Amino acid sequence: MMATTLLRANTESATVAAMKRIVGSQEAVLFLVIALLLVVVGGINPRYVAERNLESMLLGNAYIAVAAIGMSMLIVSGNIDISVGSLIGVLATISGTLATSGYPIIVAWLVPLALSMLYMALVGAMVAHLRIPSIVVTLGMLSILKGGLISATGGTWISNLPAGYHLAQMQFLGLPMPVCFMVVLTAGAALWMRYSAAGRAIYAVGGNAEAARLAGISRERTLMMVFIIHGLFVGIASILFATQLSIIQSTVPPNLELSIITASLVGGVSILGGTGTVVGSTLAAILIAAIGSSLIFVNISPYWLRAVQGILILLTVLADLMRRRRRAVRG
Amino acid sequence: MLRTLIAAFGATLLAGTAIAADRWDGADDLDVNPLACEAGGGGAAAAKAYDGGQPTNAADKMGKPITLVDVPKLIGIGYFNATSKGIQDGAKELGNVTATTDGPTEAKIDEQVKFIDNYITRGVDGILFAANDPVAIAPVLKKALGKGIHVVGYDANSQPDAREWFVNQAQFNGIAKAMIDAMAKEAGEEKSFAIVTSTFTTPNQARWIAEMWAYAQKCHPKLKWLETVEAQEDNILSFNQANTLINKYGDQLSGLFGMTSVATPASAEAVTQAKLCGKVAVVGLATPNAMKPYVNADCVKSVVLWNPIDLGYAAVQVMRAAVDGKLKPGATEVEAGKLGKLQIVNGSEVLLGPPFIYTKDNINGFDF
Amino acid sequence: MASEIKTASSSGLWLRGLMFRHEAVLLAILAAALAVLAVQSDVFLTADNLLNQGRLMAEVGLVALPMTFVIVTGGIDLSVGSILGLCAIVLGYSWKNLGLPLDGAIVVALATGTAAGFVNGWFITRVRVPPLIMTLATLALYRGLAEGISQAHSVRGYPDWFYVLGQGDVLGVPTQLWILLLALVLSAVALARTTFGRALYAMGHNEVAARFSGIPVDRYKLAIYTFSGFMAGLAGCIFVSRVSTTRSDMGTGLELDVIAAVVLGGTSIFGGVGTIGGTAIGLILIQLLKNGLALTGVKGDATIVVIGTVLILSILFTNFVQRRRDSDR
Repeated sequence: MMATTLLRANTESATVAAMKRIVGSQEAVLFLVIALLLVVVGGINPRYVAERNLESMLLGNAYIAVAAIGMSMLIVSGNIDISVGSLIGVLATISGTLATSGYPIIVAWLVPLALSMLYMALVGAMVAHLRIPSIVVTLGMLSILKGGLISATGGTWISNLPAGYHLAQMQFLGLPMPVCFMVVLTAGAALWMRYSAAGRAIYAVGGNAEAARLAGISRERTLMMVFIIHGLFVGIASILFATQLSIIQSTVPPNLELSIITASLVGGVSILGGTGTVVGSTLAAILIAAIGSSLIFVNISPYWLRAVQGILILLTVLADLMRRRRRAVRG
Repeated sequence: MLRTLIAAFGATLLAGTAIAADRWDGADDLDVNPLACEAGGGGAAAAKAYDGGQPTNAADKMGKPITLVDVPKLIGIGYFNATSKGIQDGAKELGNVTATTDGPTEAKIDEQVKFIDNYITRGVDGILFAANDPVAIAPVLKKALGKGIHVVGYDANSQPDAREWFVNQAQFNGIAKAMIDAMAKEAGEEKSFAIVTSTFTTPNQARWIAEMWAYAQKCHPKLKWLETVEAQEDNILSFNQANTLINKYGDQLSGLFGMTSVATPASAEAVTQAKLCGKVAVVGLATPNAMKPYVNADCVKSVVLWNPIDLGYAAVQVMRAAVDGKLKPGATEVEAGKLGKLQIVNGSEVLLGPPFIYTKDNINGFDF
Repeated sequence: MASEIKTASSSGLWLRGLMFRHEAVLLAILAAALAVLAVQSDVFLTADNLLNQGRLMAEVGLVALPMTFVIVTGGIDLSVGSILGLCAIVLGYSWKNLGLPLDGAIVVALATGTAAGFVNGWFITRVRVPPLIMTLATLALYRGLAEGISQAHSVRGYPDWFYVLGQGDVLGVPTQLWILLLALVLSAVALARTTFGRALYAMGHNEVAARFSGIPVDRYKLAIYTFSGFMAGLAGCIFVSRVSTTRSDMGTGLELDVIAAVVLGGTSIFGGVGTIGGTAIGLILIQLLKNGLALTGVKGDATIVVIGTVLILSILFTNFVQRRRDSDR
């Protein structure tokens, strides 16, 4: 009788286990911090939680969240891409140029996606087959893309864009398009990474490439796939970026790669590869936008804005670490 | 852990508010000099002794062909494309000047200094520059002067003794007057405005804002200045910041100033997307191409600038005059080709003229 | 007869081994680049120009030395640019606002850099934050501190003796170049010839094994990140002396230039491989390429394309060469 009681006590139901896992996850921490921010800053200035501002916060970094989906996958596989900012600048310029040169709008939207995936296939080939570390390849490509863009365009403004081009300014079911993209793509990618064989191969290759190979997963094919998918998401992000305003500046947006990588890392994606989800990076992107907005609402001295931002990011990362530590201790 | 986290977050935010300074007010320790309040009240600039630097043992190139290099703050943005075009136009017209525009791909002083250094080594007859930092660029410019190279600045000045002449597009207080007058006219005398700028450390922006505040206090005392936000040179960040300001102040905000050619269109976009055109005035400095959609849609009534092409043109004319010995220290005016005679103020500054206001009537005639 | 053959082939193999080392390949590329650029511009290979380039690359060079140590252990430090900016600001602030004598202010600035690096190292070793994340966070934090302390003011007007550091010469060679050479020699000896250096390689190859074999991994890591902060602070002081002013945006992007030089020099980003000599060659190659191209008339945008291409191609080439050497064995 004692044995049966013990057995029952030790077997939690699967649901409870799942719930515990969700609550103890980085995503939950981020969600909590966002909620905290809304409550605290909303208390100081109620306009912070007004519908307009909530929409602005979700909208503001939506393109970063979309790009961070691909970046998260890349980091999970054990790689990184620091040329993504330059790439988005180039793709946005190409999109705008196509749109103002008389091509159908759908062409202006889709060609950058194709080009991005092609470019990433090249980068992926160098990483997967030629064994060059991704940080080196993308460090070199960053300069090549930026210099190339300046040589080609000289930084002109693209301003007579056709009506109907501005995807990011449209709405779908009452929500701004970028937010729809962000939510749908995040959910889709998260499910894909968790439940499809190809998605899980990414985790395997990132965690232990040798073990993955022994299990029959081809490192080269998985890496090529990850880079190309990353290219797809960067392409979508660049269209959202290009269509947000009525004009396009054909330059490389400063520090964009930093924002995207920060969103992924704060979102819980482990740089050692092998763990982390895209839901985390999206929440992190929203959190970063919320922090940025909150600092203006709370009247923080503009000189200390970036310092406060840095501290808040550090605290969020520390929270994640402590959470993992406690998890490990508990077993 | 949770409690520590909440405590840390709260503490950081509160600490931030505790050290909340007043809104940033230009803070570059230089004197402000607001103009008179009435329309067209441009002050007679005080005559000052020549304070520029002179090249040592410059080769006598009067009338002879010279090679110039133009090193703007950075390459790859529309504004400096326009100044470069002006320089090329001037060079072609003069006939005996070859000019190249070359510079860093980011607005960093270190990079700019290295570029100028390389051209000194290469050996040019003259250097045109737009400085990222007035003091940091001085050592390398003085080195150029020491090697007999002529140095003329435009758009963004250096320390006076590091260059011979500086072509100023407009007086800082003139820009300030134009901007504040436009805002007061559009939004109203007793309204509140906010400013979107690039960074607090960009010298020109800092000067303009300091002069704007001084002028507003003098001539439009009821105009209320809410705050200034930084947005680097990032399009979407400027847009987000402008949006946040609109969300934060709601009805209280009646006007936005954009201080760069990135901030102004982004602010106009934020106002347009928030459907507040006409309710929130947008006044700012920007290049025409970036503002065409908003001016043509009547969301922005006026864009303050000067003609950058004329600025580049004037710079190369001044350089030629200096090389030929036609422009000497102590002169009060200089002949600048099709621009006619330009005034020299403040010792060694060549004034391009009053600010140029782009409106619906004339903006479509420009392409930069 | 047999012994003769054996000696001949072993020295032959040694020579081949030397030839295929990354540093040798890099030297060949450097020599080729120098030759081409010298032909294109007659002012390129002059003492004046080369010494000037030595002056200009001192800041990146000083920071590249500890960065080599850090990357050899498999870590990274992205905050070096921000530390440089912070120390520059602290230098100006201590001197002007706090009224310290200038040499005192320099000490305070160096101490700030050391402390900043120590904080990085502490969190990385004690709290076990991955280096990429920690230094990404401090990149923002330290830059923010620089902005906050400076309140957008610049500090200028230093006494003349201060400018000797950044703008002056000693025995005809720029002051900062002497400092760089000294630091280079010391770092090279430390990495190649001391137990400490060997331990770094071990840590990069397999940290767990290194720990188990008694290497004080945490202490060494703390040391190298602190060293990184100190050097960034030193570079900051030199920079301020060179441009005679302080700005809170000084050093932005420095980390990428430093990492490019280190990686080009053959240090593997995965850890365990790399030399100071390689870093030095990588540094010189990038600096002289930028300089030589500019003197030839290649413009800024095309120059960065060339640098990026050289970076990728050289790694490609050495990978290829390594693979051939491995397959020959």
